[in-house]
Amino acid sequence: MNIFNKIKNSGAVVFAFVMLLVSCNKLYTDPTPLAVPANPSGNNLAKTVAATASDSLYYKLILKSGILTATPATITDSTLRFTMFVPDNNAMKVFINAISGGLVPLAAPDAAFAGFISSTSPNYIPAATALAIVSYNIIPQAITTASFPTSFPNIIYPSIFNPAPPLSSLLRLDLYPSKRSTASYVNNVPLSSSDALASNGVIHHVPALLTPPSTYLWDRINADPDMTYFKAAILRADSGSVTPGPLQSALLNIGANLTVFIPTDSALRAAITGQITLALIAQGVPPATAAPTAAALASTPAVFSNPALYSSLTPAIVSGLVAYHILGTRAFTVNFPTTAATVYTLIGGPPYPGLSIQATFTGPFVTAATVKGAANTTASNLLLDPTPSTGKSDQNYLNGAIHKIDQALRPQ
Amino acid sequence: MRKNQRYLALLLIAALFSFTAAAQTITVTGNVKNSGSKEGVPAVSVTVKNSSAGTFTNEKGDFKLVTSQKLPVTLVISSIGFATKEVDVASLSSPVQVDFVPASSLGAEVVISASRVPQRILESPVSIERVSAANIRNAPAVSYYDVLANLKGVDVVTSSLTFKTPSTRGFNASGNTRLNQIVDGMDNQAPGLNFSVGGVVGLTELDVDNIELLPGASSALYGPGGMNGTILINSKNPFKYQGLSFEVKEGIMNTDSRFRSVSPYHNWTVRWAQKISDKLAFKIGMELVAAKDWLGYDQRNYSRTGTNGQIIPGDRATDPNYDGINVYGDETTADIRSNVFPGLAGQAPFLKGFLDTLNGGKPINVSRTGYKESDVVNPNTLNYKLSGALHYKLSSKTEAILAGHWGTGNTVYTGSERYSLKDLKIGQYKIELNNPNWMLRAYTTQEDAGESYNATVTTRLVNEAWKPSTGSTGWFSQYAQAYVGARLNGATDFAAQTQARAFADVGRPAAGSDQFKTLFDQVRSVPISKGGGLFLDKTNLYMIEGQANLSPYTKSFADIIIGGNYKRYVLNSEGTLFADSTGKIGINEFGAYAQATKSLFNDVVKLSVSGRYDKNQNFKGKFTPRVTMVIKVAENNNLRFSYQSAYRFPSTQQQWINLNIGSNTQLIGGNKSFIDYYNLKSNPTYELSNTGGPPAQTAYTYPDSKAESVTTYELGYKGLLTKNLLVDAYAYYGEYSDFLYRTLVLQPNAGTTIINVDSALAKGAIASNLGRIFSVPANTTSKVKTYGFGASIDYRLPLGFSIGGNLSSDNLKDDGGFRSSFSTPKYRGNFTLANTGFGTSRRAGFNITYRWQNSFYYDGDFGNGQVPAVHTLDAQFSYKFPSAKTAVKIGANNLLNQYYINGIGNSMVGGLYYVAFAYNVF
Repeated sequence: MNIFNKIKNSGAVVFAFVMLLVSCNKLYTDPTPLAVPANPSGNNLAKTVAATASDSLYYKLILKSGILTATPATITDSTLRFTMFVPDNNAMKVFINAISGGLVPLAAPDAAFAGFISSTSPNYIPAATALAIVSYNIIPQAITTASFPTSFPNIIYPSIFNPAPPLSSLLRLDLYPSKRSTASYVNNVPLSSSDALASNGVIHHVPALLTPPSTYLWDRINADPDMTYFKAAILRADSGSVTPGPLQSALLNIGANLTVFIPTDSALRAAITGQITLALIAQGVPPATAAPTAAALASTPAVFSNPALYSSLTPAIVSGLVAYHILGTRAFTVNFPTTAATVYTLIGGPPYPGLSIQATFTGPFVTAATVKGAANTTASNLLLDPTPSTGKSDQNYLNGAIHKIDQALRPQ
Repeated sequence: MRKNQRYLALLLIAALFSFTAAAQTITVTGNVKNSGSKEGVPAVSVTVKNSSAGTFTNEKGDFKLVTSQKLPVTLVISSIGFATKEVDVASLSSPVQVDFVPASSLGAEVVISASRVPQRILESPVSIERVSAANIRNAPAVSYYDVLANLKGVDVVTSSLTFKTPSTRGFNASGNTRLNQIVDGMDNQAPGLNFSVGGVVGLTELDVDNIELLPGASSALYGPGGMNGTILINSKNPFKYQGLSFEVKEGIMNTDSRFRSVSPYHNWTVRWAQKISDKLAFKIGMELVAAKDWLGYDQRNYSRTGTNGQIIPGDRATDPNYDGINVYGDETTADIRSNVFPGLAGQAPFLKGFLDTLNGGKPINVSRTGYKESDVVNPNTLNYKLSGALHYKLSSKTEAILAGHWGTGNTVYTGSERYSLKDLKIGQYKIELNNPNWMLRAYTTQEDAGESYNATVTTRLVNEAWKPSTGSTGWFSQYAQAYVGARLNGATDFAAQTQARAFADVGRPAAGSDQFKTLFDQVRSVPISKGGGLFLDKTNLYMIEGQANLSPYTKSFADIIIGGNYKRYVLNSEGTLFADSTGKIGINEFGAYAQATKSLFNDVVKLSVSGRYDKNQNFKGKFTPRVTMVIKVAENNNLRFSYQSAYRFPSTQQQWINLNIGSNTQLIGGNKSFIDYYNLKSNPTYELSNTGGPPAQTAYTYPDSKAESVTTYELGYKGLLTKNLLVDAYAYYGEYSDFLYRTLVLQPNAGTTIINVDSALAKGAIASNLGRIFSVPANTTSKVKTYGFGASIDYRLPLGFSIGGNLSSDNLKDDGGFRSSFSTPKYRGNFTLANTGFGTSRRAGFNITYRWQNSFYYDGDFGNGQVPAVHTLDAQFSYKFPSAKTAVKIGANNLLNQYYINGIGNSMVGGLYYVAFAYNVF
């Protein structure tokens, strides 16, 4: 019996030990979920704007747009993420003053501006226009300035504004956030304050309201009285093609995204005159005769359609000249580098010649900008005037930006 | 004519003398009973002393012995587990009654495999483990394969309930090709599939006489393949083990319904052996196992590069590129930025810039939605074994055997993928002549993969059959469009991915639905070579071998045995596994060996020298020597030293496999013809790093394949410290040369250079999206070194109690600087408390075994990762009814239902509880 007791006792100890060990078996079968960013608490974008007194006029525009009650929800939905560019009340006043044709003076009380916005008069701000403006100022991602691009030219961020749903449900107008030195921009507008976080996104304030472009590059070129030579050059370059030709089509294509440096008529006339003069001298015409002859020939944009000059202004030559004035990306002057850098045009990348561009900043503002062709002896100046629609620089269109310049660009 | 008549007369006279001699024989009958339980003891050897005459008791303990000796004669009664007894027989008037006294069998077992001649286990020159039929009967294991797990130094990799791969001394894997399994003298490895099928096709449990395990290099005697050991499973001879016996085991599994619902386990075995005459005997056996298999249920996320990878965080909900280990179909992955966005930007140029901003411009890798293993692998494991043999004694010493083992069933195997082996059929058939001094054997292994399929590839193809991945309306395109649309509406990346998956998966066949089943059956029934998942493997092996013991002629000098073999593989997969779409591929091998053993210093030292030469038609010949020495330090106490070598030729798959395993990855063999076929040199390939580093920048050169070899040095001791205490210990050191492994090379996509690939990989691109990956066999140039030790004790206590335990360790000292897939726990051990007979008439018995192995890193082609430590408790209680020759056993494998895995991607093994009823099991 003694041995039984020993066995029993030692067996009990062993059994207890084994039980202890066995209970430790581990089995890993379940995956470890990745951390999913939680929805931050606090006000959503809409409520944040509503709660900011200095944004009250823009909030009126938001209310007018109907975006707060639209389906599907956007800036009221805490599960989504947006970036809003919000003009403060001062910016809104400038805007309303402008579109009201001075009907609402800048010194008017806030209620007058609010009343103008809220008015149901179709002559003031239609709801569809308000929605277009508000939508255009919203990017469907939360982008803080820390992730704004710092290199030329920028990154394209679509807004949530689709200007032509029948064309494509995915179509969106774009915004171009960027950062240079300490200033941040959207398109060519410097941010007045940035990175105000809401539960579903981020708000950046702008000192001027960004309105969505509604016309194409070609529309401006076609209508601007100081771009007639450039327009004629485009038509000459496209001659022989089914209308509209390739260049015109690009300038009319909503899918394109271009920067067009457009010499003023006088600048392009001077350049063409010079080219014709050289051609005449090469043909044996004395320089004294050649210069006035060339000036007469180039005195109107019809120079590009003059049959006498067909052999020297061939579509290929003119096409190359025009393409050398166009970049395949949209660049605002604030995107230009502060030291001259080469960018390439629609002619092509290396070994084709590029353009040398440069901007000078004073604070966040560009006070000078140049672009120089490979064969130009001096850089041409951008004519700085960013007034929307009628200005000369940073003219934003559906498919690109236009900067007027004071010299034609010469690749060779 | 007259001369012929004289010969005829002489023959007649000889015949008459023969008849006369026959007429002078005597017949001794009797019965052998256990002195304790009084039950008849079957299979007891009864021989006439100083004579070759002998027989065995039948299932009732009765014997009938015919001898030409005159009375009185002395009978020698012997059997393992009993004290050998001599009985004088002076009269035939009544049957001889023998009271057979149980005795300790510690150290008394005889083994054959260690030297290919019978010898006491205590005197084995190399480490050896032996499992007898009695051990199997008393083991707390539901199948005899599970008993192997309790042996010292043995790891078992469990792919599924009936697919278990024992390994010794490292390099564990499902279907280990470094460990030979020889069943009744036949190599049990499926010649095409390259894994041993002992659990599926081997012997039925009631027909297993003994299992001998030789851990360590053993090619010198058993030929190529025994790098890390050899398992020899021997069946019962029908002359010795007679009668009808059967066992019915009924059990339950999945009791906690954690992975499957509670399910029954059935295991029915029957064996019938009959000695028809003193010359002729036969046996036939059947075994049926049916159950719901263990389930592979590792849902963890896996970052896969060809056959390499690692477990990473993430699940289906949070990682768009989730690839669950036991989730299939989600291996199909693509970077939608590089594969779909360009098309979107082409159609909608205004989106290009936006698309560039998504995910910070990095690749957006997305995988297709997969299905769980329970959805795609047949849960019904079924195994049906049929075996039979005809034994005919050509003389008192020479026996002819015609035998066959055939098996079929469903099981699951883990290779480079998970494979559902469905209706697998393998037959092994042999004819053998056995004599104490020589042996001649010819056998064939006939393999038929049945309806087996690659679960991973098949499921991926099911996804493709439902909705193609590529194309403008393909799954990835739909996903990308929905993703972009959601992002344009302000959705976060996470929300957009979720919405995109939901959109692309609209109409996806639900697991278990008729639509899914129809698609799945459609795909799995199409051969791999025609774009499906079905194997058509019917590879066969033919072997002839012989051995002669020259000792009767050379005894004065040394005991010498010689032997040789010829082997032919015929690969036949119709292009579904091998590169044999144009016809069968033959591979020939031959080998020869010799061994000389000499006892010195009055049998204190026994020295043995062996050598073997083998040649495969595709590789240079290999010579493997072995030198062993046994020193008797005291009676029943021996020290052993051995220098052994072993090698293996690249397996048939390592020579000729040509299998697309998805993920743009092709497994290919080392045969040089693959280089031209895949333009591997004209369109160069570059070796991928297996540690996450950059790929090689110079083209891979495809050196010639060579046989892998190992040299081991071993020191051991085995002895009886007291008559009840057996101790065995060993330590070894091994060095592998030309170690065979697989490496991944990448053939960059057209127009892409390795510099582009390097750069893209650094940005998070997936290698398989940058080019085609080939997994190619290779030999290391550096040596792989291993070492380890093991020790066991077996202590017999009074009243039938016994305790035992063992601890062993295997270590990788030097992996040679490459992925060697050691995959072995550093320590493992087990402890057993048992009694084979207590209580009234010693009818009751029990066995409790605790097993443990520590955590280790498993490196397999299907999955890599840390395998947690395993603690398992097995137990059984049995009770015998001697008068009815029956026994009842209640037992449990993994009593506490602690699920475990012993290889990444393998099934989760839980508790199996059973009750067994056995009749005439001996």
